[in-house]
Amino acid sequence: MKIMRVEKTLVSTNRIDAFGHRPLLVVQDKPGGPRSVAVDAVGCIPGDWVICVGSSAAREAAGSKDYPSDLTIVGIIDHWNPEAA
Amino acid sequence: MDIWRVVDELVCTRRVPGLGAASLRVLRGQKGEISVATDPVGVPAGKWVFTTVGSAARLAMPDPTTQTDLTICGIIDQWEEE
Repeated sequence: MKIMRVEKTLVSTNRIDAFGHRPLLVVQDKPGGPRSVAVDAVGCIPGDWVICVGSSAAREAAGSKDYPSDLTIVGIIDHWNPEAA
Repeated sequence: MDIWRVVDELVCTRRVPGLGAASLRVLRGQKGEISVATDPVGVPAGKWVFTTVGSAARLAMPDPTTQTDLTICGIIDQWEEE
């Protein structure tokens, strides 16, 4: 699992049907780092530090084994100090 | 999922049967890297998209037996490049 920070929500009106209406968020490894898109299975807000899973766990965590996600947010970290890590 | 910009369509007539008639796109990533993805959406060049990799890329296609490892999942409505 990776620790990432939620930057903002991602709006994508034209998407494949398999994605449904699941919320998508832009996440970053560290501020200024490369940005990825994750499916939100928890309900987080911009600024939260979260843990993300990949591969087949990402598909199951997003709702079903057939959900085509490769990065899903599975938890919000209560307290995280990015400088200490 | 990764964020890319669609550079162009890719025409590839001679291909393995497992790839079917899937539409292909050339993508440029945030660091300038180039990749090819299957496109079930029908994205024009210049749009920002997000993609899924690995086995999820096959599930994102209308036919999950398509032999791909990178599939476009949707068009991003608005994106500012940094």
